[in-house]
Amino acid sequence: MTNTNAIEAHGLTKFYGDFLAVDHISFEVEQGEIFGFLGPNGAGKSTTIRMLTGVSTPTEGTAKIMGFDILKHSVEAKSVMGIVPDISNIYTELSAWENLIFTGKLYGVSKDRREKKAEELLQLFDLYDRWDEKTETFSRGMRRRVCIAMALISDSKVLYLDEPTSGLDVKSVRSIRRLIRELNEDGLTVFLTTHNIEEASQMCDRIAIINRGRIAEIDTPERIRTAMKSNQAVEIAFKEQTKGTREMLEKLSSVTEVQKRGDKLRLITNDSAQTLREILQAIDENGLVPVSLNTLGASMEDAFLWLTGAEMESEIIHRRNRRR
Amino acid sequence: MTQVTIGDRIRRSWAITVKDMKIYYMRPPALMFGILFPVALFFTFTVGRNLSPDRLIPVLSAQTVFWSASTIGPVAIPMERRLRTFERFLSAPISLIAVLWGKMMAGFIFGAGITTLATVIGILWGNQTVSNPAALVLGIGLSSMVYSAMGILFASIPTGSPGEVIVPLNFVRIPLMFVSGMFIPVENMPAAGQIVAALSPLTHTIGLLNLGTGSPSVFGFAANIGALLVWMLVFLYVGQLFHKMIMRRE
Ligand SMILES: Nc1ncnc2c1ncn2[C@@H]1O[C@H](COP(=O)(O)OP(=O)(O)OP(=O)(O)O)[C@@H](O)[C@H]1O
Ligand SMILES: [Mg+2]
Repeated sequence: MTNTNAIEAHGLTKFYGDFLAVDHISFEVEQGEIFGFLGPNGAGKSTTIRMLTGVSTPTEGTAKIMGFDILKHSVEAKSVMGIVPDISNIYTELSAWENLIFTGKLYGVSKDRREKKAEELLQLFDLYDRWDEKTETFSRGMRRRVCIAMALISDSKVLYLDEPTSGLDVKSVRSIRRLIRELNEDGLTVFLTTHNIEEASQMCDRIAIINRGRIAEIDTPERIRTAMKSNQAVEIAFKEQTKGTREMLEKLSSVTEVQKRGDKLRLITNDSAQTLREILQAIDENGLVPVSLNTLGASMEDAFLWLTGAEMESEIIHRRNRRR
Repeated sequence: MTQVTIGDRIRRSWAITVKDMKIYYMRPPALMFGILFPVALFFTFTVGRNLSPDRLIPVLSAQTVFWSASTIGPVAIPMERRLRTFERFLSAPISLIAVLWGKMMAGFIFGAGITTLATVIGILWGNQTVSNPAALVLGIGLSSMVYSAMGILFASIPTGSPGEVIVPLNFVRIPLMFVSGMFIPVENMPAAGQIVAALSPLTHTIGLLNLGTGSPSVFGFAANIGALLVWMLVFLYVGQLFHKMIMRRE
């Protein structure tokens, strides 16, 4: 049993009409891992979760959860998973207690067990004081916690979290992250999606970077960062900047690419020290007036942008230009 | 891995029924189409026509069961789609048919409860003798199942607003009232009309209720029961197919 992968996806594909939202995605998640799905809006993260949890039928491909095929043995597969969707879909007409108890019943948890577990979870999630109140009145963070608690009432083996912390304040984010880590230490496998690079690199054992329905890379956060070491950058802003300035920078021998970032220019390089030397020389020779100069280590952000392609880059520039 | 038994499935399905009862019975559209509407229709069509209680009570009961039982699904499911709680059933360890069965039971209990109440009031008020209690009970019970399943079928329309299910449903419900011998007895219809009447589940509801209050049923007891059972299975099965189709698209 221990060799069984918690999640196996083979060629998962989803078409909405003619639109290809998820394009032949395959990956494996081992038991006990925290596996992250990192990608920009519309990348196909939620669609993938919906296919893995039986909410949406894949157009093509299969998935196994703890060895059970999600289509052929769906009841068994669904028995072992807990799901927290991108919005907290709790019954607002019911209290937190009733939400938990109903979910327990739906997953066949015995009466004693579900009542004990519901009480524990309400304590754990700091909801115990208001257990009997309709959740209609709950704040977004409280609803999120109710939703996560509901996913845990049935002793799931695999927990899916679709952007668990988005839209929450710092305190809630921290407490939710801590909880996820604790649950994981107790053996729960976690599959989480996020567009927050920091979250992915803090939380996950491995990360899949997804863009436009395809996985660009699967690796540890550390290795993805290392892979990006060759993509250091220097950012510079001038008092006056012309087309000539950019052309001049592009000619520098150590610079592989020049990107426009607002009023700054970002120079991608393999050797930032050499680039700095070359820039200072160019400034002198051309009589330019720099207003700021920064070197940037390869961050997850760089890794992310690089791996998801230049498309994103131009989108950012485009959006920034429009805002002006 | 523990096996999921039939008993487990029934219990999980029942949990859905109980939750739906708690949440949706008191919703305005449920009260309006489930209670106000049949009562209003009943008075519209019967007041001033000088019908005897044994003619009135089947119309009252049929009208009530037809509207009330078919209303809960179309109220509950779109609201659950909007709040995305419907997904919870799809990702829970329970088959779609068991989910729909649980939802059907919620409509059944609503329809059967209200109709029993209306019928008892009618019987007491009209001082009517019940000559065939079994036909009356089956007429109400089985019909509640059928119309509840019909509501579930229409609720497969992928929308977050009950109105978008109820309006198309009314396009079926209203014409059905006129072809089912509710206002014009089936015997007085032309041949084509009688064929349509035989196909309408509502005809068979009225048949059973007529038997209950001592009037004849045109197609007979056995045909009435058989037709209602077939319709229930058809609605449930087709409803399940439609819901699956939506999952493939969504
Ligand atoms: N029901 C649907 N019908 C049609 N298109 C859809 C549907 N659901 C999602 N899409 C499209 O599929 C693509 C992927 O959507 P998805 O919700 O999976 O993205 P995501 O990675 O979760 O994005 P986000 O970070 O915004 O949540 C998007 O282009 C979206 O518009
Ligand atoms: Mg999403």
